[in-house]
Amino acid sequence: MTTREVRDAPMGEPADRHPAAVRTDGLWKVFEHEGIEVEAVRDVSLTIQPGEFVVLAGPSGSGKTTLLNMIGGLTRPTRGRVRIEGRDITDLSERDLARWRLEEVGFVFQAYNLLPVLSALENAEFTLLLRGVPDDERRRRVESLFADIGLAGLEDRRPGKLSGGQQQRVAVARAVIGRPALVLADEPTANLDSRTSSALIDLMAELNREHGTTFLFATHDTELMRRARRFIKLVDGRVVEDERRDAPHPAAGVDGPPGSGPRHP
Amino acid sequence: MRRPTLLVRLATRNLRRQLRRSLLTSAAMVLGVALLVFSRSLASGAHEDWIEAGVRLGTGHVAIQAPGYRARRTLDDRLEASDLERVRSALGAPAVARHVVERTTRLEVQGLASSANGAVPVLVMGVEPATERRFSRLAERRVEGDYLPADDPLAAYMGRELAERLDVGPGSRVVLTAQDATGQVVGQLVRVRGIFETGLPDVDERIVHIPLATARSWLSAGGAATTVALLLDASGAVDPVARALDEALSPGRRIAVLRWQEAMPELEAAVRMDDFGDYVFHAVTLAIVALAIINTILMSVLQRTREFGVVRALGMTRGETGAQVLVEGVLLSATSGLIGIALGFLVTWTFFRNGLDYSFLMEEGFRAAGAVIDPVVRPHFDLLQLVGSLLFVFIIGVGASLYPAWRATRIDVAEAMKFEA
Repeated sequence: MTTREVRDAPMGEPADRHPAAVRTDGLWKVFEHEGIEVEAVRDVSLTIQPGEFVVLAGPSGSGKTTLLNMIGGLTRPTRGRVRIEGRDITDLSERDLARWRLEEVGFVFQAYNLLPVLSALENAEFTLLLRGVPDDERRRRVESLFADIGLAGLEDRRPGKLSGGQQQRVAVARAVIGRPALVLADEPTANLDSRTSSALIDLMAELNREHGTTFLFATHDTELMRRARRFIKLVDGRVVEDERRDAPHPAAGVDGPPGSGPRHP
Repeated sequence: MRRPTLLVRLATRNLRRQLRRSLLTSAAMVLGVALLVFSRSLASGAHEDWIEAGVRLGTGHVAIQAPGYRARRTLDDRLEASDLERVRSALGAPAVARHVVERTTRLEVQGLASSANGAVPVLVMGVEPATERRFSRLAERRVEGDYLPADDPLAAYMGRELAERLDVGPGSRVVLTAQDATGQVVGQLVRVRGIFETGLPDVDERIVHIPLATARSWLSAGGAATTVALLLDASGAVDPVARALDEALSPGRRIAVLRWQEAMPELEAAVRMDDFGDYVFHAVTLAIVALAIINTILMSVLQRTREFGVVRALGMTRGETGAQVLVEGVLLSATSGLIGIALGFLVTWTFFRNGLDYSFLMEEGFRAAGAVIDPVVRPHFDLLQLVGSLLFVFIIGVGASLYPAWRATRIDVAEAMKFEA
């Protein structure tokens, strides 16, 4: 039995036998800005099963990034609870959250966010370095992954010497190298041209299929929406649409009417 | 332990990333530390000179006397021959002997010097001519005649002002009068053989040297003495030597061990005051250096807000992000500190090994705290002081990095992701 199969819930709660990858219960996030309260996320309850490939869509300011940050333990919810693989992370200390993120979550950001002082290989192996994985195993895993995702030969290049697509692939490699249960990606294709973007989506879909890694995207990208197997739409911080598909949707769009599925803009 | 290696790697590369800024800050530190080493070594050299000059005119680095002698200055408080035997034995201990460069025995008494021209109060010092010649600066300050010749038991050596007041010169006769060991007032005829000039009125108009044997006989003091004075190889050896002598001689409380600081409190005060001025100057210099470090590291932290957000998102703890910044400060200050110390040492050694001549600033015979100061100051390097400087710079580097490090730990991860450098 692996730790990923059964997790003990904290605070004495019984462990789930088959815990969801992500479960949020009545999640709220209220920001206060110059004395005015802004409800960024309102009463969001979601369950995402392991291995799902989920898109979180919605107009700008709809709360996608805030929801993603709460699920990733980067922002604490105002109310409600977040469970990842059966573990309640809502009240974890900063230190425990950091440790948890290191072990369980991979992040892909819109602006790549590679560390400019590290090479492509060092960026990719960053979480393994933090975990203390031995040198030879670290190198073996990164080189194998680089070969799989078309980055072979670029190991020693600094981010500034890589194209946008290459940088984002390094970022994806960094996110999945530690074999996390969950990868959270915030607008991962926003800075890429359509061809590079499509190739990156192929890569993530393949990682999802082959390793069963759960992917949750916040995006405006219609191609990504089309390829997702589940489409969740947020408007004003609330879930207004949650559609599961057996196969990728032939067409997608952020502004598709609830119930009709996403459509092309 | 892989994280420390990672922190050092990140810190090194981040310092190299803003190379010009890092080099400028480093240059400020290097110059500050080099200046510190230069000025400390010269100050230390000057203080050694002051102390050397002072102790050679006075009672040495360490003086051994009867407990009440310093206050009363009479023969009632003298070291008898048996005491001197104990002193000799204590001086033979290896912990003491290895530091003692010279020692001399003196019998001192206050009295009057008289000539046909009148009488002047004096301090008559019965000395061992051979050792006193090496010990005392007075022999070097001879301006007329000779120091006490070994074959002349009636020789006297006195200061120029005293000679002028008595209107005597080499070859003149002078009568010394004092109270002897039995309380009788007795006189001794001596012949002036030499005259010295130190530039210090207290010395030039008061001191008369005569042979110790003559003084003992004249004052009915048998084999007694009032002072055994020691010159040591360095002023830093005073405390261990005095402690060892204290332990060896304290039983019976008949013998007191005086450090030069007790015998010449005004000289110690002068050294302390000069040191204090130096420390203030160094504090200001290093405060400026610390501000430069704070500026560099803080700017670097603020510019890298987004990167700190990223590493935190990836699993670095608050403490580790702070530690990364601290490591940058430590690396910058330790490297600059080492280079600064090496530069300071090299410059001082290369250009000022033979001394920095201040004679254009001071008249001949510049005096301070009862000593005539040599206008040429030679640097004195103290390993402990160099290590202390490095440690101090290291502490400044760490201290100056604390605030930027704290700022790095306070970064909100989600907010940091929105940050545009």
